[in-house]
Amino acid sequence: MRTPDEQSLLARTARGDTRAFEALYDLYNRSIYSLAVGILGDRETAQEVTQEVFLGIWRGAHDFDPRRGDPRAWILSLAHHKSVDAVRRRRLRTAEPLNETMTDPTDVAGQALRAVESARVRDALSTLSEGQREAIALAYYGGYTQQQIAERLGVPLGTVKTRMRDGMLRLRGQLGSVAETDR
Amino acid sequence: MTHDELRESLAAYALNAASPEDAREVEAHLETCEECQRDLKVLREVTADLASGVGMVNPPAALRARVLSAIQPQARPAIPRAGTLGLALAAALALILAGISFSLNQRLAAVNQRLVALNDRLATQEQVLVLLASPTTKTAALSGSVQAKVRFVYDPERKQGALVVSDLGDPGAEFVYQLWLIAGQEPQSAGVFRPVLGRPIIVPVAADFGRYQAVAISVERGPSGSPRPTTKPILVGTI
Repeated sequence: MRTPDEQSLLARTARGDTRAFEALYDLYNRSIYSLAVGILGDRETAQEVTQEVFLGIWRGAHDFDPRRGDPRAWILSLAHHKSVDAVRRRRLRTAEPLNETMTDPTDVAGQALRAVESARVRDALSTLSEGQREAIALAYYGGYTQQQIAERLGVPLGTVKTRMRDGMLRLRGQLGSVAETDR
Repeated sequence: MTHDELRESLAAYALNAASPEDAREVEAHLETCEECQRDLKVLREVTADLASGVGMVNPPAALRARVLSAIQPQARPAIPRAGTLGLALAAALALILAGISFSLNQRLAAVNQRLVALNDRLATQEQVLVLLASPTTKTAALSGSVQAKVRFVYDPERKQGALVVSDLGDPGAEFVYQLWLIAGQEPQSAGVFRPVLGRPIIVPVAADFGRYQAVAISVERGPSGSPRPTTKPILVGTI
């Protein structure tokens, strides 16, 4: 129901229609900001990231390709991208040596998972194998790259990729299609 | 990578965790592979669900105005110059005219400024085109801990080169990216830059490239960077 509508909002935004852009802001500000807060744990930076995401939508709306996902998935993927970029920059600035800080990878994965509040997503994640859950939590909520995850977990890169893929497909089965809960 | 290997990398790509090289290959492959497009669509539905799993918080209301003003094409300053004519009508008229001419002038100045900036950009882009046309020009891809599309093109014969950057995130208000040419243990600054959303950045560099082994980018304090790198480079490429 909502998809064709949002698709036209994106199309109008691509043509420079500020009203359509405002409508997108009102639809998505909360979920984008919440995701940034969840990943960064810092409201100040999350505001900057949210602004960056909306500028990205304003300038990149014409890049939206419906074959690769609906508008919601595209917007939230952009929000995730900007959030993990910000968290990686912060780690570089604070010169935190990524593989030396915390020794126990499950701790870090557990920390990353603290951002998750929805019971539905928690339940779905709990059906994964531990390795799959760690890989996905570290990547999605922790903002770590596949190489960093492989180093942390002490497994080959190929294994990390496979765990991500299998875990994601399993999550898909658990979460089903996009539900009508909070976006 | 083969189709199967790329398909295996799609989940990492959807999680924004793929290496820059993998991401580039996946993106190129997605252009033509419908199967992987469908796969990515499914994976992105899952990441969108992961996004909705975080605790919901409202951003401050002021953020809306900030975002909306950031996309407005330059607000027009309404500062009419007051005339001191006796007749109220003439004064009002003069005021209106002054206002119009002022705002027209302002706009003209803004347009002029943009033209100058566009001209500069065109000139640097032409430099890169000339570089690309030269048979002795080489390119180096930079990779590292952030996802970005960054290439260094250089012609050792003409001693001309340029860094071409797209898709690099903002380094934070007080920071800039700094480009380094590295000979042995000696990094030499080759300029600083800040990314502009949605537009590639070109940093021209003139140097004797035979002397250097690598180029690197680090995040440094703005506006003018630092004499030596103070943070670990986020992107490195060998030349």
